Amino acid sequence: MIEITDLRKSFGDHAVLRGVSLEVARGEVVCLIGPSGSGKSTVLRCINGLESYDGGEVRVFGERVDAQSDDIHRLRGSLGMVFQRFNLFGHRTVLQNVMEGPVYVKREPVEKVKQEALALLKKVGIEDKACAYPAQLSGGQQQRVAIARALAMKPDAMLFDEPTSALDPELVGDVLQVMRALADEGMTMIVVTHEMGFAREVADRVCFLYDGRIVEEGPASQVLETPQNPRTQDFLRRILHAASQDASAAS
Amino acid sequence: MHDFLQQARDFLPILLQGAVVTVQVTALSFILSSLIGLALALLRLSRVAPLRAAASSVINVIRGLPIIVQLFYIYFVLPDFGVQLTAFQAGVIGLGIAYSAYQAENFRAGIEAVDEGQREAAQAIGMRTPLLMRRVILPQAFRIALPPYGNTLVMMLKDSSLVSTITVAEMTRQGQLIASSTFQNMTVYTLVALLYLLMSLPLVWMLKRLERRISGGRKQ
Repeated sequence: MIEITDLRKSFGDHAVLRGVSLEVARGEVVCLIGPSGSGKSTVLRCINGLESYDGGEVRVFGERVDAQSDDIHRLRGSLGMVFQRFNLFGHRTVLQNVMEGPVYVKREPVEKVKQEALALLKKVGIEDKACAYPAQLSGGQQQRVAIARALAMKPDAMLFDEPTSALDPELVGDVLQVMRALADEGMTMIVVTHEMGFAREVADRVCFLYDGRIVEEGPASQVLETPQNPRTQDFLRRILHAASQDASAAS
Repeated sequence: MHDFLQQARDFLPILLQGAVVTVQVTALSFILSSLIGLALALLRLSRVAPLRAAASSVINVIRGLPIIVQLFYIYFVLPDFGVQLTAFQAGVIGLGIAYSAYQAENFRAGIEAVDEGQREAAQAIGMRTPLLMRRVILPQAFRIALPPYGNTLVMMLKDSSLVSTITVAEMTRQGQLIASSTFQNMTVYTLVALLYLLMSLPLVWMLKRLERRISGGRKQ
């Protein structure tokens, strides 16, 4: 469904992606992990053309992704994206945020969209906040609205760019819960994350990126529990160490 | 005081006629400057480099010229190129252009102040640039730009007196004419000043209220 072949991208002199290849089949959940600056988010942003690329190719549903092309808007409609900083439209209510895409991009009838939007808000557990403005919600609530907004377009796949990284720890669970339910329904998902627990439990496959390349890839249990590459081992050790420090600090 | 009231009664009808013209000049040139200003702001933020450069040159030239010189140029020089305008037209167009540069900068600042992430989120749900501007960026840019926008309106109300220099019969001009024929400088200019305040102070007050109402929805 999503095929990435030898993807290359530089920002000026700095090569961010040095040949990334990745295939994601329908219904698969793939987690991209790796240290910051390894290129995880850039891969994700190349998939829906928010970022252009210099070499290689990205194909979605068999179509080549080209950030400059006129077709990119249609393609984006079938790829939901959730951002680290939620990026809700600040001047519109929760319900309006969710309805915006179907009503103004797809031009669907308002009444039908409204019913669907309310159902989505119920699904992510914030139907009671439908009339609130984003600034009145917690980060976790905002992120669930952002997920509902992406789902309202009825996408064939969802891209998550560190969806829990900007959240207070106690709010992470609710968002992951929504994502887990989505994966259970068979949604195709690519998730950039630092949540190793989520990756282990939900991902069909985990890719470890380092310095613009995928250096290790495989089933979640294999990559996370018996990593072969020294870079992966080192990264996981640091992450687990930080997590256990958090735990001991909390106890 | 008795004299003042007596004279005021004689002068006020003429001054009020002028006030009507003042309001017309202000309103029309404000609308014109908003339209040109918005166009310049959008060009200034365009992805096409030559358009950006052209827009910022225009803005700089306009900002670098005194408003009176622009008015004189439009009213006295353009006829040499075959463009005949009435004083009123020249005044509206001159003020409109002169203020469009400031409007452009207000609008640009407002547009740039809208969080870049929202633009990306709008793109991610498939919005094209015009829709994204209309639905996401401009409504929020307008809220951010509203205080300086209102300020510009108040300044334009006052600066509409500049068109008196090209013989537009607005309030200041009418005052000058009365004063030079009656020599009642104090009465005339006191009345003129009071009438300006009578227009500008309620405007300031209304804008304050509007700002408060509009920001009310977003912040709690």
